[in-house]
Amino acid sequence: MTQTTMVFHPRPGAGPEKSWTFPAPDRTRLANGLSVLRVHRPGQRVVAVELLLDAPLDAEPEGIDGVATIMARALSEGTDTMDAETFAAELERCGATMDAGADHAGVQVALDVPASRLERALGLMADAVRAPAFPADEVDRLVRQRLDEIVHELASPARRAAIALYGELFDAAARISRPRAGTAESVARVDRAAVADFFAAHVRPATATVVVVGDLDGVDLDGILDRTLGRWTGSDAPPTEVAAARTDDAARVVIVHRAGSVQTQVLAGRLGPDRHDAVWPSLSIGTYCLGGTLTSRLDRVLREEKGYTYGIRALNQSLRSGALLAITGSVETDVTGPALADMVAVLKTLAAEGLTDDERDAAVQNLVGVAPLKYQTSRSVADSLADVVAQRLPDDYLPGLYARLGAVATADASDAAVAGFDPERLVIVLVGDASQIREPVEALGLGPVTVIE
Amino acid sequence: MAGLAETFTATEHRLANGLRVVLSEDHIDPVAAVCLWYDVGSRHEQPGRTGLAHLFEHLMFQGSANVHGNQHFEFVQSAGGSLNGTTSFERTNYFETMPAHQVELALWLEADRMGGLLEALTQESLDNQRDVVKNERRQRYDNVPYGTAWERLVAMAFPAGHPYHHMPIGSMADLDATTLEDCREFFRTYYAPNNAVLAVVGDIDPEQTLAWVEKYFGTIPAHDGKPVPADGTLPPVIGSEVRETVYEDVPSRSLMAAYRLPVDGAREADAADLALTVLGEGESSRLNTRLVRRDELAVYAGFGIMRLVGAPSVALLDVKASGDAEVEAVDAAVNEELARFAAEGPTPAELERAQAQIERGWLDRMATVGGRADELCRYATLFGDASLAFSALDRVLDITGEEVRAVAAERLLPENRAVLVYELPAEDSDDGSDTTDTDDAEGQAA
Repeated sequence: MTQTTMVFHPRPGAGPEKSWTFPAPDRTRLANGLSVLRVHRPGQRVVAVELLLDAPLDAEPEGIDGVATIMARALSEGTDTMDAETFAAELERCGATMDAGADHAGVQVALDVPASRLERALGLMADAVRAPAFPADEVDRLVRQRLDEIVHELASPARRAAIALYGELFDAAARISRPRAGTAESVARVDRAAVADFFAAHVRPATATVVVVGDLDGVDLDGILDRTLGRWTGSDAPPTEVAAARTDDAARVVIVHRAGSVQTQVLAGRLGPDRHDAVWPSLSIGTYCLGGTLTSRLDRVLREEKGYTYGIRALNQSLRSGALLAITGSVETDVTGPALADMVAVLKTLAAEGLTDDERDAAVQNLVGVAPLKYQTSRSVADSLADVVAQRLPDDYLPGLYARLGAVATADASDAAVAGFDPERLVIVLVGDASQIREPVEALGLGPVTVIE
Repeated sequence: MAGLAETFTATEHRLANGLRVVLSEDHIDPVAAVCLWYDVGSRHEQPGRTGLAHLFEHLMFQGSANVHGNQHFEFVQSAGGSLNGTTSFERTNYFETMPAHQVELALWLEADRMGGLLEALTQESLDNQRDVVKNERRQRYDNVPYGTAWERLVAMAFPAGHPYHHMPIGSMADLDATTLEDCREFFRTYYAPNNAVLAVVGDIDPEQTLAWVEKYFGTIPAHDGKPVPADGTLPPVIGSEVRETVYEDVPSRSLMAAYRLPVDGAREADAADLALTVLGEGESSRLNTRLVRRDELAVYAGFGIMRLVGAPSVALLDVKASGDAEVEAVDAAVNEELARFAAEGPTPAELERAQAQIERGWLDRMATVGGRADELCRYATLFGDASLAFSALDRVLDITGEEVRAVAAERLLPENRAVLVYELPAEDSDDGSDTTDTDDAEGQAA
């Protein structure tokens, strides 16, 4: 304890790398047509189950946007043998959580349960899709609850921005231009009959997939599936078709007025290529270099140099068709103009100079290197495989993607990011105090500026 | 429902400079977590310098003796790792999850800033991170509906002058007033090896890991000048209800409340956790069943627990009213459910459900090397024994229904709560159902 000065050492190098590959799923099919993907993950005592139903939002009948969401929630509101409260209690007795939601690609039901109680919980999940009761009073209550939620969502700057961007960017006739869980007008039209009709039209085992991930040692999964989801029956109709989305991404600014905001929520986006496109690995590397982390180009300036924001990110996120390319974050109200000017300057510098090899290398090393960390839990593996299924990609897509990410050339990552994040083709949504930010934003010349309430 | 003690083991070590080291092996995935807890949080802050512990956490990522600028982030991320830090009332933690072959790098980085932060700390980085933190505060507190609710409730549940009266985020004025010398002094006082616990968990060779820890951390001098934090002891029950009403343009009326609970580490804290789970966690909880499903007074109704060691733990009630429902009706329903529970206790089925839910939550927490490292640090720092982490679930499962009832009867009382009510501004609300107004001008935003 007499030491008074620290001895510093040179930065150590890495030890010998240990091999890791993305857990490969086994694919089988039950007699009723249900596709099964399973992954054994030793040591993961909570099993993650994800059931994908081919009930996309664009299948919702005209005028009742939100029926898919209400149907998804109503699946756990009672069955042929249990009322809603009993069903909820039984699930919780298993130590399980079951959450169902509707997105553009379909309805997904997520079940997490300790492996020791997998059969009981899968039995409940099977009952929910095999014989949901959809009691009229519970459906009506879910509708009223959803109407309450909408009021809260509209008060959230991030949600307001997303709703405005999709509305602005996508063809108004396309379902994707409107909020995922519907508007107050459309949700109010949802009733038991609409839910039951949507269920009958789109929920069946032949077009569904269940993903099961966890420590399956000593678990008779085939027997459990036979006794649970194997009892589900339905017609043999074909899967839904995916239609390409049309957008108008001419540069412009939409300010959603939110009086008294101390920050401006920024969401600048457009539609770009998705995971089916060969450019996806390059685009992923380029997007990371632009705004994947605190040391990427955007935060390097807007956060670490200027202090305008707690963080601003660029992302490429697959949709049902195409991917949303976006820059998102919130900046102090007073510096909204300078922050946007810096954001555009970062994009222009990228277009003029491209990425450096060091940036590309750092991005590859991170995106590929974090995979073993990212996929530790059953849930993270199940979510990623469910995305692969929902996007209709091959089962071995993820290991292939990691190999391709590692091979991306600097110039290709630059080109993909420059083409993807062209400031001439970005719709910029700002949720903030229009009386304070309109003038400085107009002065930037980023395209026509409109203000909506 | 077995615990985790038979699955995981940990060993504890102590360097000559006082640094405590916890190692736990698990070779399933080629990953390892490095987690460092410093025994300093917002409770150690002085009046006029709220937010310093958290601001300082940001400065820990701005470089140290041999790490320049943002290199801490760059080195870890380029090694395929992920990292962050967080600050609470009672501690500040830093963590890197790494591919197993990069653990030595994370240890080197943590040692470099534990021993050499002041060599790189500048006015420029302080000014920049002060702006970043102020934007963090705006984003998470000031620009969202109900964003300052917990801050207000905590200030009511813990009286002025109490070390937990203010939140770790601090106030804008105090952040502005913080000087470079404050930061230097804070580092010299609290960032010492004998005030920290280091856990390394995952695909490691314990002998090699301990040798690296000795090499990189072993020569950092100990420092014994840490002042004893102000005593956070309070009476178990507040005594009479403290209430504040805020008139704000929020999406719906709201009733929120904080109740004092037993200090963490006691059986009674686990009993309280079970009580709050039965009452306010999950679809079949009593509050959800009564307020959301049956009476439709609320769009959300639930309870959470904030476990504390240096002050009473806190139960956090959150009810967002449905449509035109009045707070008075919400309040009456909540009090009725709590009184009924205090009299009857949980049914055997409710207790079984709550235990099963807590078990799954705990398994989730222990499913990653990072989660396990954080829990080991927590038990080592706050309770003096890291291995208590692996028996924590068994202790919860040992609690009886009568213990659950008793803690509810003792603590979930109207006279033991601070209440925060959100009402809509006068022009929008039909009639003033609020009978008690704020005694604190700070609460007025209309």
